[in-house]
Formats: sequence, structure tokens, C-alpha cells
Amino acid sequence: MTVKTVPTNAELVNESSKLKVMKGKQKFNLKYLGPILALVIFLSLWQFIPALLDIKPFILPKPTDVVAAAVKDWHLLWPAMQITIFESVIGFILSAVVGIGISVLLASSRVLEISLYPYAVILQTIPIVAIAPIIVIWFGSGFNSIVIISFLIGFFPIVSNTLMGLNSVDKNMGDLFKLYNASKWQTMVKLRIPAAMPFIMSGLKVSCTLAIIGSITGEYIAGIGGGKGGLGYAITVAAVQLKTPYLFACAIAGALFGIVFYLIVSLVSRLVLKSWHESAMEAEK
Amino acid sequence: MVNEKEVVLFQGVDKVYNTGTVALSQLNLSIKEGEFISFLGPSGCGKSTALRMVAGLGEATRGTVEVFGKNPKAVIETSNDVAFVFQDANLLPWRTVLDNVLLPLELRGSDKKSRKETAISVLEKVGLKDHIKSYPRELSGGMRMRVSIARALAAKPKLLLMDEPFAALDEMTRQTLQMDLLNIWEREKMTVLFVTHNVYEAVYLSSRIAVMSARPGRLSNLIDVDLTYPRERTTAKFTEYVDAASQSLEHSMGRKELV
Ligand SMILES: Nc1ncnc2c1ncn2[C@@H]1O[C@H](COP(=O)(O)OP(=O)(O)OP(=O)(O)O)[C@@H](O)[C@H]1O
Ligand SMILES: [Mg+2]
Repeated sequence: MTVKTVPTNAELVNESSKLKVMKGKQKFNLKYLGPILALVIFLSLWQFIPALLDIKPFILPKPTDVVAAAVKDWHLLWPAMQITIFESVIGFILSAVVGIGISVLLASSRVLEISLYPYAVILQTIPIVAIAPIIVIWFGSGFNSIVIISFLIGFFPIVSNTLMGLNSVDKNMGDLFKLYNASKWQTMVKLRIPAAMPFIMSGLKVSCTLAIIGSITGEYIAGIGGGKGGLGYAITVAAVQLKTPYLFACAIAGALFGIVFYLIVSLVSRLVLKSWHESAMEAEK
Repeated sequence: MVNEKEVVLFQGVDKVYNTGTVALSQLNLSIKEGEFISFLGPSGCGKSTALRMVAGLGEATRGTVEVFGKNPKAVIETSNDVAFVFQDANLLPWRTVLDNVLLPLELRGSDKKSRKETAISVLEKVGLKDHIKSYPRELSGGMRMRVSIARALAAKPKLLLMDEPFAALDEMTRQTLQMDLLNIWEREKMTVLFVTHNVYEAVYLSSRIAVMSARPGRLSNLIDVDLTYPRERTTAKFTEYVDAASQSLEHSMGRKELV
């Protein structure tokens, strides 16, 4: 009766799926446990080395000092964060809307694109810090200037990505549209913009973190006090007062916001591209 | 079914690309309404070039190409009479099957209500009614080609241009699609210009075969295929035509090597 010793199909399937689950778990473990472990080691070194070497907190604060400072000055830190978040989001949205709009405009006219694209490239290389004071002269200290700086720094990557995408249309698809006598506008809306979507999305991902850098830089230069300064302003103040732990807390808060913002934009990008685009599908693997 | 109305006319057509490549030289050919004509020839002999001219996607360097007695560009600008099926299905990846088929109707600005009905009915014709909500990436190569054919049929063309549409498919899929294409051709009473480098395909499908030779691309032979549809691939007659077509193909290639 050999039949009995042979496992049924169902059992086999069960076994193999168990194996898969276990393998999946191991992968999961390594993928998450590794970085977490690295972080723990890093934090403990950071905690104990200043103590061992007797480094003053205003030179290098320990993680606990930073947390304590953040908790103590939370009533300052949280409003500053909110302001920076607000400025960055507005700056980013502006650069997305204006950037995509201008790109579409440029791409729909060969003459415009050829004449203006070189300047778009050159403008991109101008260090934003260098022109920030001019913006302050023009628009005054505070919110407006900061948003404009944040907008400018995020604007160019979106333009160059969108233009590249709009010009990346497959030749056969272009012919298809020609064959059906599609108007310029139809080709733009139904072919070029959808085809450019993955490029636009990667431009947005670059710009969202740049927008934060822009607004913090803007706050250094154009920040104003009175509870209206963002993280950048708080950092300059903390530096002057040698409140190094609080300065660290501000910097970390900015970084965390950057990560969250990036993740949100990535998520949106994936949702937009998910239904059809190969690059989104491949990225998921 | 073949009557004498002229659909496509090549008259002393030369095509020289600006790279200096002579893609076509002195092409003279008249294609009548209802014909299923195949351009058969080796790679690089100018088959696609000729087809693109008929579609108004390229211009002759010398000579004239006429479609329905008019300039091809004028024809595509003013009517839905010409459709093109590309070698890779050339579907828009962000559109569903249904939306891909709707595209020509949208671009041509046909009546919104009837659009969807038309699209669904052509999808039915190519046997894809159950997949209208799928995206191209979810389909097999054969199904994608069916969608592409459905899209071409959607605007009810009188002239269907096909550039090696089945070249990338496996033999079984290709044979089914060939059969379906013939059914559609007979039902819709279109004229079909079909590009291939496969002799069997040419003999199976065409009422006439235009054999071309390369460098420079020229017409080397015209073969009328007097076999009734549907054709049997195993009959002696069929084999005879395959041999004849192969021979003139070899002949045209041999001449190329002599030059
Ligand atoms: N846009 C172009 N610019 C320059 N040369 C071209 C262009 N398109 C085609 N050619 C050349 O013209 C010749 C004919 O090309 P064509 O694509 O018409 O050949 P074909 O018969 O369709 O070949 P295949 O079977 O490989 O598709 C080739 O030598 C090709 O290199
Ligand atoms: Mg070709």
C-alpha cells in the first residue's frame, strides 16, 4: 500500500506554501531588522561616546539630550515645524503646477522650446542661496519670499523631467495619432502627457525634498521671529544661543518631514501610475 | 468580388532617404478595390516605406502615390478611410482595451453615444468582448494584436494597411489570426495591403502577391493567387504557389547578390 505514504496534492501545496511563508518571513526579518539594528547600534554609540569622552552637550548633544530638548521646547518646535511644512507644501504645489504648465506650453511649440530650453538649463545651475537675498529685497522678509525660494528650487527638476517625458513619445504611437489626423492639442492630452507621466512623477519626487531645502534656506535668510519663523529660523536662533540639543531636534524634525513628504509623493505617484505603467509595475517588484 | 475601381496607385515612385539609402526605385503598381495584396520581400526592400507612403506618413522622392485618386495626406486628413496596423500592437499602455479601440473614434470626433457601441461591436468581431476592461499588459501578444486590429476596424476603413502584423506571434496564434483576418476582409469588403516576409502567409492570405527585391527596393514580380478561400495549406496547388513565390523571392535576392 504505497498510496498511503504518498502525500496528497493538498498536503504538498500546504507544505510548499508554508515554506514560502517562512522564506517570506526571513526576508521580512532581514529587510526590517537589519536597518533597525543598525539604528540602535548607531544611537547607542552616539549616546555613550560623548559621555565617555566627556564632550559637552553644546558641542555634541546625546540622543537623550536631543529628545529632552524637543520635549521641553515642544511649544516652539511644533509651530516651527507646521510653518515649514506649510511653506514647503505650498512651494512644492506651485512648482508642480507652474512647472508642468510651462513645460506643456514649451513642448507644444517647437520654436518656444528651442529658444527657451537652454535658459531653463542655465537657470537651474544658479545656486538658489545666491539669489535668495534678491528675492527678499523684492518680496520682503517672511512667508512670500520663503515660498518663492522653495518654489524656485523645486521648479527646474520638474520642468526638465516633464519636457523629457513629453518628448519621449514612441514614434509608432506618434504615427498612429498622425494617421487619425489628431490635432496638436489632442496629441498633447491623449498621448504626450500620459506618456510623460512616469517622468513627471520622478520629477515630483525630486522636487518635494528640494522644496523643504528651499523653505529652510528661505527661513535662514528671510525668516522672521514672533512665532512666525519656521525650522530654518529656529535653527539660526538656536545656533546663536548655543542651544545645540534643540538645534539637533530642529534638524531631525526637518529630516523626518522630508522623509514623510517623500513617501507621500511616492505613494501618490504609485497610485497614479499603478493601473497601467510598466515602470511602476517594475518598481513594485 | 474584385472590381476595377482603383484604390492605390504607385506611379514611378522613388524613395531616397536623406541618409542616401534608396529604399524604393521605380515602383509602379495599381491596387484595385477589394484586393488582398501582400508585399513580400527580404528585410530592407522598402515594404514599410511603401506602406507608410500610402498612409500619408512619408512622401515619395519622385513619382506619385495616390489613394482613392487623391494625395494620401489629404485622404487621412479628411476621412476615416485608411487604417494602419503596426507590427507591435502599438497600444497605449495607460488605456484599457475598450479605450484603446475608442481612440480613433475620439480623435475623429464621432458621435459620443455610438462610439462605445461601435467599439464593443468591433471587439466582438475579433473575439475580445470579455476583455474590454483589461489593460494591454494583461493580454497575450495575440490578444494585443487583436485589439490593434479592432482599433483599426473601429473607424470603418475602406483600406487596411498592415505591416508585418503577425511576425512576432507564434505559429498557432498566427494561423488563427490569419483565418480571422480573412473572415473580416470578406465580411467588410475592404482592400488590404499586407506586408510580410513569410511566403506561406502571403500565399494563404493574398489574392495577389507583389514580390519585392532589395537594394534598391523594387517590384520584381506580381503573382495572382487563383485559389478559393478558405485555402488549404496542404493542397498541391497551394504548394505550387508557395514554390513560385519562393523562387521569385530567391531570384530577386540572387540578383541583389550579383550586383
Ligand atoms: N527613416 C529612415 N531614414 C533613413 N533610412 C531609412 C529610414 N527608414 C527606412 N530606411 C532604410 O530604407 C530601407 C527600406 O526600409 P524599410 O523599413 O522600408 O524596409 P522593410 O522592407 O520594411 O524591411 P523589414 O522587413 O526589415 O521591415 C532600409 O535600408 C532602411 O535602412
Ligand atoms: Mg518593415
